[in-house]
Amino acid sequence: MKKLIALLLALVMVLGLVACGSGNETPATDAPVSDAGNETPATDAPAASGEKVEVTMIAAQYGTQTADWWANFVSEFNAANENINLVVDVVSWNDIYTVVNTRIANGEAPDLLNIDVFADYQADGLLLPASEWVSEETYAKFYPAFLEQSVVDDVVWAVPDLASARALYYNVDILNEVGVEVPTTWDELTDVCQKIYDYYGGEVYPWGVDMTTDEGQACFAYYIWNNGGDFTDAEGNWTLNSAENVEAIEYIIGLVNAGLTNSDPANETRYDNQDMFGAGKVAMMIGPNSIPTYCSVGGYDVNYAVASIPVNGDNASVSAGVMDRIMCFDNGYTDEELAAVTAVVDAFYDDEPYSEWVLMEDFLPATSAGGEAMAAANPESAAWIEIVGSAKFYPTAKAEWADVKQGVIDVLQQALLGEDVQTLLDDLQAEIAG
Amino acid sequence: MKKNSPKKAPKNSLARTIEPYIWIAPSVILMAIFIVIPIGYVFYMSVSEISKAGLVKGFAGLENFSKVLGSSKFSLVLKNTVVWTIMVVVLSTVLGFILALLLNNKFKGRKIARAIVVFPWATTLVIQASAWKFIIDTDYGALNTLLKSLGIIGANVNWTPTPEAFFAWEIACGIFVTIPFVCFTALSGLQSIDSSYYEAATVDGATYFQQLFNITLPLVKPSLTVATVLNIIYVFNSFPIVWTITKGDPASRTDTLVTYLYKLAFYNGKQGEAAAVSVIGFLILLVCASVYMVSTLKKGDE
Amino acid sequence: MNDNIRVNWQKLLLRILLYFVVAVICVVILYPYFVMLCTALKSRAEIFSINGTVLPLNALWSNFVDIWKKAPMAQYMLNSIIIAGGSTAIAMVCGIPAAYALARMKFKGQTAFLGFIIVSQMFAPVVLLIGIYKVMQVMNLTNSLLGLIFINAAFNQAFTIWLLRGTFMSISAEMEQAATIDGCNRIQAMMKILLPVAAPGIVTTLIFIFINAWNEYTVALCLISTDTIKPLTVGINIFNGYNMIEWQYLFAASIFAIIPVVILFMSIEKNLTAGLTAGGVKG
Repeated sequence: MKKLIALLLALVMVLGLVACGSGNETPATDAPVSDAGNETPATDAPAASGEKVEVTMIAAQYGTQTADWWANFVSEFNAANENINLVVDVVSWNDIYTVVNTRIANGEAPDLLNIDVFADYQADGLLLPASEWVSEETYAKFYPAFLEQSVVDDVVWAVPDLASARALYYNVDILNEVGVEVPTTWDELTDVCQKIYDYYGGEVYPWGVDMTTDEGQACFAYYIWNNGGDFTDAEGNWTLNSAENVEAIEYIIGLVNAGLTNSDPANETRYDNQDMFGAGKVAMMIGPNSIPTYCSVGGYDVNYAVASIPVNGDNASVSAGVMDRIMCFDNGYTDEELAAVTAVVDAFYDDEPYSEWVLMEDFLPATSAGGEAMAAANPESAAWIEIVGSAKFYPTAKAEWADVKQGVIDVLQQALLGEDVQTLLDDLQAEIAG
Repeated sequence: MKKNSPKKAPKNSLARTIEPYIWIAPSVILMAIFIVIPIGYVFYMSVSEISKAGLVKGFAGLENFSKVLGSSKFSLVLKNTVVWTIMVVVLSTVLGFILALLLNNKFKGRKIARAIVVFPWATTLVIQASAWKFIIDTDYGALNTLLKSLGIIGANVNWTPTPEAFFAWEIACGIFVTIPFVCFTALSGLQSIDSSYYEAATVDGATYFQQLFNITLPLVKPSLTVATVLNIIYVFNSFPIVWTITKGDPASRTDTLVTYLYKLAFYNGKQGEAAAVSVIGFLILLVCASVYMVSTLKKGDE
Repeated sequence: MNDNIRVNWQKLLLRILLYFVVAVICVVILYPYFVMLCTALKSRAEIFSINGTVLPLNALWSNFVDIWKKAPMAQYMLNSIIIAGGSTAIAMVCGIPAAYALARMKFKGQTAFLGFIIVSQMFAPVVLLIGIYKVMQVMNLTNSLLGLIFINAAFNQAFTIWLLRGTFMSISAEMEQAATIDGCNRIQAMMKILLPVAAPGIVTTLIFIFINAWNEYTVALCLISTDTIKPLTVGINIFNGYNMIEWQYLFAASIFAIIPVVILFMSIEKNLTAGLTAGGVKG
C-alpha cells in the first residue's frame, strides 16, 4: 500500500514536469495566428520583430504516406520561406468532420482546409473567394470543369486538389470460366449475374454493392445517372423522385433481393467489396481508379479488367466523379498573411511536388500539368483522366446536399427492408424540396 | 461501541462546519470546470439555431426539440437505446458478479485468470468492436473459419441475416466489454467481507446458496449498486461499439441515441438537434437516477 | 467415515468444476485476441482469402516490427502513459478527500453533492466536445497533454468518489478515532490507517481510471493536433487510411497497447486481496 501511495506521488511529480514541459513547448504550435472570433494575437504585427507569419492547415489523410508527405512538404516549405511558419495537421477521414466542426464552432478555423465539402462553410460566409488567395499562375493550371464544381453565386470558393472516377471492374477469369461477356446494359448485367450465380452455386457473389452510411450515395448515383435520371434538373431543382430514379433504384434493389449481390449491402462497404473482389469472392463491382493499387498493395493476384458502367437501355454510360478541395477560411488576414497563404498554395500546386503527391495518393490530378505527369508515368491513366473529365459529380455546391446524401442512403436501406421505393423517394423529395 | 466520537471539539465550530467543504473542494472545482461548463454549453446549443458549419445564429426556443420529437426515427432509436441499455446492463451485471464469485476463490492460476479478465477492458472499444466485426463476418469471418476447420459447419453461415441479429451481436459485444468492470467492482466488495461471517455460517450448517443470499449479496450490494447505476449511464451513452460494427445501419434499425445524434451533428450538420437529443437522453437518465436516489440513497443514509 | 469421503469427493468435483468454468471463460475472453493476433500475422490477401485458415499460413512477425517504423509508436505509448498516469494521479488526489468527507463527515449538501456527481456523468463525451474545447481554449490547454489529463481526471471523479465512499463506509471508523486521540491529525489518520485497509477499493479505482484514460479517444482526437503528443488511440489512426485500412497493423499496434495495462494490473493485483487480512480490523 505504501508503494501505491509512493507511486501516486511520483505520478503527481511527473505530471508537474509534464505541465511545465508542455507549457514551454506548445505555444509555438498552439497559438492560432488569426482567430476569427477573438482579437488577433501578436503575430499580426510582425514587421519590426521579424516574427514569422503562421499559416495553419488541416489536411485529410488519404493513405498511410500522407502524414509523412506533408511533414516533408512543411519542412521544405518552411526552410525556403523564412518568414512563414506553416503548420499542417493531418486528420483521418473518419474524424475530419468532427475535428473541423469543433474548431469552427470555437472560432478556430484553420487558414487552409483540405476536405471534400465546402458549401456549408460558404453559406456561413466563412470562406474567401479563390481569386483572393490563389495566384493567377496557379489558377490557370486547373481543369475548368473541376473549378465549376465549387461555384456558388458565380464565385469560385475552393480549388480542387484531386479527383477520382468510377468504372466497372470485373474478374476476367470468372467471366471466362462461366463463358459470359462483359455486361453493358442492365438486362445483360442481370443475365450475367444469374449465370455466374448458377455456375458457382452461390459461392461467388456476382455483383458487389455498397449501400452503407459510408458511401451509399455513390450507389444511388451509379444507377440513377445510368438510367437518365439525376439528383437535380438543369435549373438545379431537386428531382429525387423522378420516374427514372424510381426505376433505377427498384432495379438495384431487385438485384439484391434476387441474391445476385454480396450478402449484406447495408453493412458491407466498398472496401469490403474491394477486398472480396481481390479475393475472387465478388465477380464484378463499380469502383474507383485506385483499385489496381489496392490489389497490388494488398497482395491480391486477381486477374481483372475495366469497362464502362452498365446502363439501362440506350442511355449513355456515366462515370461518377468524386472531387476534394482546398479552401481558405476568412480569418481576417493582413496583406502579409494572405501573401503567406498564397505562397503555401503556390508551393503545393507547383508541378513537381503536386504530381508526386497525386501519384503517391493514387488519385487523378486536378491540374493539366499533373495530368501530363501522370500520363507519362502510367499510360493507362490517360484514359482515366478522360473519364473523370466527362464524369458527373454530386451536387455538393447545393446547401441541402448533406441532407440529400443521408436521405438517399436511408431510402436504399429502407427499400432493402421491403419498403416501397416510390413512396420513400416521394417522402424524401417532399422533405428536401417542400 | 460508538463512544468517544461526540462532544470532543465544540471549540472550533466554524472550522468544523467548513472542513468538509475543503475536503470536497478539489473534486468540485475539477468537475465544475471540465464537465459542468461543457454541459451548460450543450443546453445552450439545444435552444440555439446553429448553422451547418457549426456557428450559433440565434435563439431557436424549443424548435430543435420539436424537430427531433417529430422525426419518425426518434421512437425507433429510443426503443433501441432502452433495449441496448437493459440487456447489456442486466446481463453483464449477472455474469460479472458470477465471475467475481469464481475469481474470489483461491486457486492456482488465479492471478493469471484475473489478468485475462482485464483484457477486454484494456483494449480500446473501437479496436475491440473491429475484432468482433472480423469474427462474425459472413465471408471472411474468423468464427466461420474456425467452425469450418473444426468440421462443425460445411459452408459459411450468415450470422447477421437481419438488423435484429446484428443488434444482438452488438449487445453481446457490449456485455463482453462491460463484464470486467462489473467483475472487479464486485470483487473489491467481496474482498472486504470478513471471512469470519462465513465460518460462523458454515458452523451453523448454512448451504452455499444460503450464504450467498444472506451474507454475500447484502454486503456486496453497495458497491454493486454504484457500479450498476454508473453502468446504466455509461452503457446508455456508449458510442464506439455500435458505430464501428454497423454505424446504425440499416435505416437506423441499430442506432442508439448517441450514434443517432453523432450522425445528426457531424454528417447532417444539425448540431442544434443533436444537442436536443442529448438533453432528452439526459432527462431520461435523470428520471431513472432520481428514482434510484430516492429509494436507495435515503435508506442507506439513515 | 463414508460421510467424510463423500465430502472430499464433493470438494474435488467442485474444484474440477471451478477450474473447468474458469478455463472456458478465459478461452472465450481470449478468443478475440487470438483472432487479432492471427490477423496481425497475416498479409492482407490472406486475411480476406475465401478459403482462409485459422492460423496464418506464413506468420508475418515483421508486421509487429513494421509498425514501429511506420509510426512513432514509442512516442504515442509514452504519451498515453503520461495521460493515463497523470489522470489517475489527479483523479485520486481530488477524489480520495471527497470520498473521505462523504464517508466520515456530516455536512449540508452531502446528498446534493452525491447527486451532482452522478448527473455530471450523464452526457456522452461526444456531445460535450464543443464545450470542452471552449474551456480548453480559455485555459490555453488545447493541444496539450495537461488538458487531456484534467478532462480524464474529471470524467472519472464519479466512479472514484462513489466506489471509495462505499469502501470507506464499510470500514469501521474506530481505529481512525483512536489514532486521532493519539495525536494524529485527520489527514495522517486517513493516510496511515484508512487507506491501507481500503486497498482493494483503491486498487479497483486506480485500474478503472487508468484504463478509461488509456482508452479515451474522442476528446484526444479533437484537442490534440500535434503528432508528437498524440496518444496511442489517436496515433494509430495512421493505419486507417481513406484508401485502405491496414488491419494487420491496427491489430498489431492494439496488442502492444494491452501490455502496459496488464503489467500495471499484475503489479498491483495482490492489493486486491489485502482486504482479506485487513478485514479483521472491523469491529
